[in-house]
Amino acid sequence: MTAVFKDYVKNKFSKPGPLKGLRVIELATLLFGPSGPAFLAEMGAEVIKIELPPLGDVTRSLKPFDWFYKEQGPMFMHINPNKYYMALDLHIDMGQDIFKELIAKADIVEFNLRPAVTNRWNIGYEDLKKVNPGIIYIEKNGFGQWGQYAEEDRPSNDGAAQALSGYAWISSFPGQPPLKQGIWICDYFGGLMGETAVLAALHHRRKTGKGQYIEMSQSENIMRAMQWVWPYQQMKGKSVEPAGNRDQCICPADTFLCADNQFAAIAAPAPDEFKGLCEAMGKSELADDPRFKDHTTRLKEENALAILKIIAEWARTKGADDIENLGIRHGFAASRVHSGKDMFENKHRRERDFVKEIDDPLYGKYVEHCFPVMMSKTPPKIKWTVRPVGFDNEYILTKVLGRNQRQIDELYTHGVIGKWKDMQGRRPPSDWDGKYGAILRR
Amino acid sequence: MADYKRAKWAEWADHIKSLDDPATNFEKPEALDDLIVIDVSSRSMAGCYCSSLLAELGAETIRIEPPGGDLVRTYSPDGIMNKDTGFAYLQEGRNKFHITLDLETEKGREMFKSLAGQADVVIETYPAGRMDEWGIGYEELSKLNPRLIFASISPFGQFGPESNRKQFDYDNVAQARSSIQYQTGEFLTDGKTYDDMPWAVPTKAGPWIAWCVGGAFAAAGILAALHYREVTGDGQAIDVSSAEAYERLNDYALHWYGDQGHITERFGSLDTALWLYGFFPTSDGGVFLGGLRLEMWKAFVDILGKWDEWGADEWTTLAPFMKEDWQFKYQAMINPETSKYTSHELTQKSVEYAKTGRLAPITPVVAEIVSPWQTMHDNNWIERGMFTPVQDPEYGSIVCAQAQWKATGTPPRTKWVCRPVGADNGYIYLKYLGYGPVMLEELKGSGVV
Repeated sequence: MTAVFKDYVKNKFSKPGPLKGLRVIELATLLFGPSGPAFLAEMGAEVIKIELPPLGDVTRSLKPFDWFYKEQGPMFMHINPNKYYMALDLHIDMGQDIFKELIAKADIVEFNLRPAVTNRWNIGYEDLKKVNPGIIYIEKNGFGQWGQYAEEDRPSNDGAAQALSGYAWISSFPGQPPLKQGIWICDYFGGLMGETAVLAALHHRRKTGKGQYIEMSQSENIMRAMQWVWPYQQMKGKSVEPAGNRDQCICPADTFLCADNQFAAIAAPAPDEFKGLCEAMGKSELADDPRFKDHTTRLKEENALAILKIIAEWARTKGADDIENLGIRHGFAASRVHSGKDMFENKHRRERDFVKEIDDPLYGKYVEHCFPVMMSKTPPKIKWTVRPVGFDNEYILTKVLGRNQRQIDELYTHGVIGKWKDMQGRRPPSDWDGKYGAILRR
Repeated sequence: MADYKRAKWAEWADHIKSLDDPATNFEKPEALDDLIVIDVSSRSMAGCYCSSLLAELGAETIRIEPPGGDLVRTYSPDGIMNKDTGFAYLQEGRNKFHITLDLETEKGREMFKSLAGQADVVIETYPAGRMDEWGIGYEELSKLNPRLIFASISPFGQFGPESNRKQFDYDNVAQARSSIQYQTGEFLTDGKTYDDMPWAVPTKAGPWIAWCVGGAFAAAGILAALHYREVTGDGQAIDVSSAEAYERLNDYALHWYGDQGHITERFGSLDTALWLYGFFPTSDGGVFLGGLRLEMWKAFVDILGKWDEWGADEWTTLAPFMKEDWQFKYQAMINPETSKYTSHELTQKSVEYAKTGRLAPITPVVAEIVSPWQTMHDNNWIERGMFTPVQDPEYGSIVCAQAQWKATGTPPRTKWVCRPVGADNGYIYLKYLGYGPVMLEELKGSGVV
């Protein structure tokens, strides 16, 4: 263990998050929009999630097969921790004014709407810049703010981005149709990169006081992760094709079926790793075979397929855990393919506090992922999960905007702010005591 | 000029384009041009991608390789090399100065300390503990430079029971560890085995996505640490595991198992929580179909001419369609219908339906599943500057995926794609250590650089 991380988990809550003091306003739904601000919230920023009353974010309704957790959409819970929940009607001018008051006191604002929609609501970049010239404004969507697809008002989502970027094309087995990922990778990776953009802009603002406008397309964003594909196509004059689990640039690197009907991934490109693998297979002589003598030679298609076939035959005689252990002993990379059960039961994840049990005032105890960046002086943390629509209206209006009860009541009367509709995912869970978790409610 | 029908809000599009068109990037300031970053990552594209992000934002980024170059230089399909560099590193050497240094030697480690003493950020990807053994881990370096932000990317992290495994970090192994590979892929049909259907197995994503996500989380952590440093003056150590980073993007599979004991299994190109949402075959390939509202799903059924036959009039909610057995049932009904059309015909039918269909303007999302070749030649992306070639002084005109976002203030940009091994030894060692040609020759002689 690296000494600097001794007792990291134990002392997590004696240190601040790195983004302490930042305020972020989010007006976003589904996944691409809200996932990013949650990362900032886990790093200690105050994130106010604004929803339209009384239904709020549609993600509250998404239900894998037949499972809701305490009436709530589990995807909504996974991507929205640590936020404050305000329900503000932006179709009304008074709602727009409150939004601008918040912007005046904020550092970052995040949207995922179609191009020019915020302009119609008088909260476009030019409007908000007048209120707060330092504001960092990011708009995330399918095709950005200009260009043919954007102007055609094409709808987009994660699956469309996987299809249009070529990502799905190169993620299946040869001869098989393109394969969609089991996760919403273009949404989620986009959410993450949006925060990298925002945090870099923040550094510029510290130096100059200037904010800026950022636009991100989820398809364009994922193209950057396809790396070698582009210069390869340019120089070879043809498309990259799928190769299943074989890594086309690293050899050997593949996933193998094992004797116990489980799967193990192996990577051993460096000389020491390849030698270790050959030893583990009891075939040390392969390390000296001219076909496999160095990495570049091994990568030649016929050589790569030859060595992978040898490894595959060997793997069928071993359990997946045996292969993982041989990797540790012989110094090559190997892992059994983990499932949801492994995520839950694996001790390492728990001891790192990467997988932990949350104790939430509304949703009780449940197991969740924490932020995957451990920071020695400023540990990111997950504190609470989602809230009903408009749950924190009073807290925000009182603490941030200094409104009194009479003024708040008036806003309710005019429908400027609202609370949840009495339906699944919007209202509090049925076993809630009506008090716990509520802040400054009168 | 645009040869498509302009949107009602075209004025806004033109306004933003005038402010953030990548063609004008080089006229603008850079967000991180006050920073010095050292990337000493080994065998790992997670580290290289992380430092690329900072380098694209203007940080002076010094990439340290062992004499002879890092293994990542050899990552290339068929082992094809361009001069001394494979296709992969032609993307991730961008904007970095490249020097060589043998950290196995004491002199090399001493020189590393001098560089780190002047740096803002160090990125490393050795097996956990290696840098400490060499005496150039965070503990030592922070004594020299308390403002230093020291980011480690590794397979298992810097602490925890598995962190003492001395292995390097590889993308395919991280994808396997993340649990996402487990739940991605075609399912075996009843009565078949893996030998019958060798493609119906847990399937990793083609791109190095675990490495990219690991590198991206590390970059986000570094930028957040920078914010904290501006407030307090303190640097810190950052610990990222690529497998954990990618796993964080797995949605509710962990929660589902914890609550219900349910293991999320492969579900082909459908989606456990969404309908209409998946890939479907066409006569010349396939399309993504999306219709997350009941009306969009009905509109799609109408396009197929099955409104009456399938009883769309009766449907009042999407909920039952998300059930596993309904998804299979409707997938089997849809497949032969979509197969009657080409991808283009189906896309056009959706566009047409938005104008004249009974539910117009509601229409489903139809997106052709294209090859990356088509993507690279799609005018929409080309006009938005995604594939503008970089004019590299050494490697020539190289197509790169350009920056991941556009910005009015400090957009990321790519100035060069890569440098040959040790190409910047002269410049960097002179600038930071004051070593002239004579000293450098000596170090070369003793194999340190």
